[in-house]
Amino acid sequence: MNADLQQQFVQDMLTESFEGLDRYDRAILALERNEADAETLNNIFRVVHTLKGTAGCLGFQHIQRVTHAGENLLDLLRAGERRVAPPIISALLRLSDALRALLQHLAAAGTDDAPLDTAPLIAELNRLGAEPAPESAAGSASLPSTEPVAPVEIASPAAPPPVDADAGWGLFDPAPAAEAPPVAAAGTPSAPPPAAKPGPAPSAPAPSAAALAATATVRVDVALLDRLMNLVGELVLSRNQLMQLASGRQVRPEAVAELSQRLNLVTTELQEGVMKTRMQPIGNVWSKFPRIVRDIARELGKEVELETVGATTELDRTIIEAIRDPLTHVIRNSIDHGVELPAVRVAAGKRPAGRIVMRAYHEGGQVNIEIGDDGAGINLARVRQKAVERNLLGPAELAALSDREALQLVFLPGFSTAEKITNVSGRGVGMDVVKTNIEKIGGSVDLQSAPGQGTALKIKIPLTLAIVPALIVRVGTERFAIPQVSLLELVRHESSGGRSACEYVYGAPVFRLRGQLLPLVFLDEQLRSRPAGAPPRVDLNIVVLQADQRSFGLVVDDVLDTEEIVVKPLGKHLKSLPMFAGATIMGDGKIALILDVFGLAQHARVLVDNSDRPRAATAAADAAAAGPRRQLLLFSLPGRERLALPLEQASRLEEIPADRIEHSGARELVQYRGRIMPLVRLDRHLSGEPPVPGSAEPLQVIVCQHGDRTVGLVVGRIRDIFEEAYELQPGSAAPGLLGSAIVQGRITDFVDAPAILRAAGFDAALAA
Amino acid sequence: MTKIVMTVDDAATMRKMVGFTLRGGGYDVLEACDGNDALAQLAQRRVDLVITDVNMPGMNGIDLVRHLRALPHLRTTPILLLTTESDAEAKNRARQAGATGWIVKPFVPGQLLAAVARVVQSPVAPVA
Repeated sequence: MNADLQQQFVQDMLTESFEGLDRYDRAILALERNEADAETLNNIFRVVHTLKGTAGCLGFQHIQRVTHAGENLLDLLRAGERRVAPPIISALLRLSDALRALLQHLAAAGTDDAPLDTAPLIAELNRLGAEPAPESAAGSASLPSTEPVAPVEIASPAAPPPVDADAGWGLFDPAPAAEAPPVAAAGTPSAPPPAAKPGPAPSAPAPSAAALAATATVRVDVALLDRLMNLVGELVLSRNQLMQLASGRQVRPEAVAELSQRLNLVTTELQEGVMKTRMQPIGNVWSKFPRIVRDIARELGKEVELETVGATTELDRTIIEAIRDPLTHVIRNSIDHGVELPAVRVAAGKRPAGRIVMRAYHEGGQVNIEIGDDGAGINLARVRQKAVERNLLGPAELAALSDREALQLVFLPGFSTAEKITNVSGRGVGMDVVKTNIEKIGGSVDLQSAPGQGTALKIKIPLTLAIVPALIVRVGTERFAIPQVSLLELVRHESSGGRSACEYVYGAPVFRLRGQLLPLVFLDEQLRSRPAGAPPRVDLNIVVLQADQRSFGLVVDDVLDTEEIVVKPLGKHLKSLPMFAGATIMGDGKIALILDVFGLAQHARVLVDNSDRPRAATAAADAAAAGPRRQLLLFSLPGRERLALPLEQASRLEEIPADRIEHSGARELVQYRGRIMPLVRLDRHLSGEPPVPGSAEPLQVIVCQHGDRTVGLVVGRIRDIFEEAYELQPGSAAPGLLGSAIVQGRITDFVDAPAILRAAGFDAALAA
Repeated sequence: MTKIVMTVDDAATMRKMVGFTLRGGGYDVLEACDGNDALAQLAQRRVDLVITDVNMPGMNGIDLVRHLRALPHLRTTPILLLTTESDAEAKNRARQAGATGWIVKPFVPGQLLAAVARVVQSPVAPVA
């Protein structure tokens, strides 16, 4: 055998064996749960048996020795000579661990000479098999007895099945050929192909490690492959037609249209077909979980049942790879933090065994994966406490969080609620990593928990990463693609009277979108592609994007079209640019870069405020938690950015030209709807600063009913009206203020209008 | 006339390795992935030799031998069992079922070819 071929066989063996060992683990677990039937043991046996044979032929003696010991024990179990018992199950699981380790070493290093001491395992397997040994005499052939156990294996590693002389091959007596005797006669040492020959060792040149590790394989249904070939045939035909068309002098437009339609059809089908070859059932990842669940549950002294639904749901294999670790971590978390100890569960009136359900299903071009447990749920009090201990949030901010928001805290970096760091989860990998990894592949994570009833994590991920629907935008002369998963909406704002809708909060540009301030990011500024003397924008094309559960507006010159783009990875030298996720080739053959929304947001620093994350995530949903929603009027004064008044206290909002103000003594009055309305300048009562006198700007006035009098409160600027639930806290003790609350995620002072009016000399009772 | 050998094994790697060795020795090779597959393929045709694994799901090698021997056109076709089980009891069952001989795996290519050459009785070029 030449080296290439040997390598091919080794690769085949690895694929086959890893698949086999997964089946093996599942079968062993079934055996442990007494759910095994007659075939189960045979299947277990066959996996080990096959691996032993193949490894032997390829010259991997370490694997062969280990499998041999396992095979002997399994053979006894299969024959009913040994009973399945916990020590046997454990040993058999250790066997699969050891074999996996050896195979992994083989895949990486090209040899099974792993630094792994399997002698104790072999001895254990032999001991379990040997206990009452009914086989008589020199039973060492297939049934090593206790004492000579390991030595038998190690002494003659080259020819593992302990050898009788006819081990190589032989023919039964009535052989077709006359000269059978020299070969078939048992025990003739002169037999020409003797088993004592130093085995298959010389045929095993170590294949190069890199080559082995690099060639991953995929299994494809033959019918699908045929269909693809068929489609490729169609594609070739279309190409021929196109070439013919291109070489012709005169091209009929109909011919082009016809051909492009045909090409479109073939390509679409081909795309779908090839996608399918990359699809794998999610069960491929899940198959490892029963074993993981068992081991962790054991380690923690818990009982856990794992149920999986929808294991055949298919996903692109790159995504399957990407979710393997996050899912494993979530499962670990569920067992470690979610499911309670059996005694605790019984005391709570539950069954002693916890239950974890993993469910996968397709929905709207995405895959949903849900992992739910029926454990204790997340202890919100402890979450809050931990958040303060770890300085993730200040006590005031924390108090303002609704339960739902508090739950999101577990996704913050550096968060772990485990009382003590256990071997199982607290390994420095937190839920934030799970979330980040899922979001990296365009997915999202949602957490729900009910105290005493359990926790459910819902993950949404796209089907594939190779071809994605995207929005194409233009800045200057460049086009960019934005993956549609992050796209929330498109807003175009045309300036009225030359004033841009872009406002500034502490120097940061924002846009007011339905009562929410949307941070703006100018793409050309981020990319430094804006020409120096360019006039400021007046019309805004805003692409509202979501990154890490916060939204921001990306300002571009033009919004073009949506397209399915093919993602091409960027070269190494461009990999360090966080704003780009890749590149794609547009219909006209030019290249467009694909924006990485998360990276862009980070670069533009619209995500920096970490503590704001959970709040933003649930801003819309927190109503029920804190109290009834109330309508608020938000306005500002010079030096006081955020002041609020319950809307029911204001009867109208007016803009009054400064020249309509009349004076009566020190009091300012205006004529309003045929009556006299006194004005009260709020800034005089709230801020120590003297008012700016003689301004010609029109006054912003909140018209209030005070008793039966109508009074106008003059404020700086009316900012917004919105509805929100809030909890008032006595804050600044300034006269005229009721206190403060967090609304729209910011601290806002509440004006005590009646008190101010009283202070200004209007007494509701007297006036009546 | 090139001799045809059928190899029956549920492990694809093993099947490929046997196939490769035999093709290198100048044989044509048919592959079957288990006993039922082999029976289906051999229902209507002859081959010069069948090499079958013993332990397979569905129908094991020894049952396969029994079934093949029941087919008139395969009554005298040599059948070798490829097995790791070198114990006398298994061999006895194989013999009773009508197998011609056995090859213990792991095998080295030369060994396999020698065994095959013996039962097929055709000159074989030595293979490294």
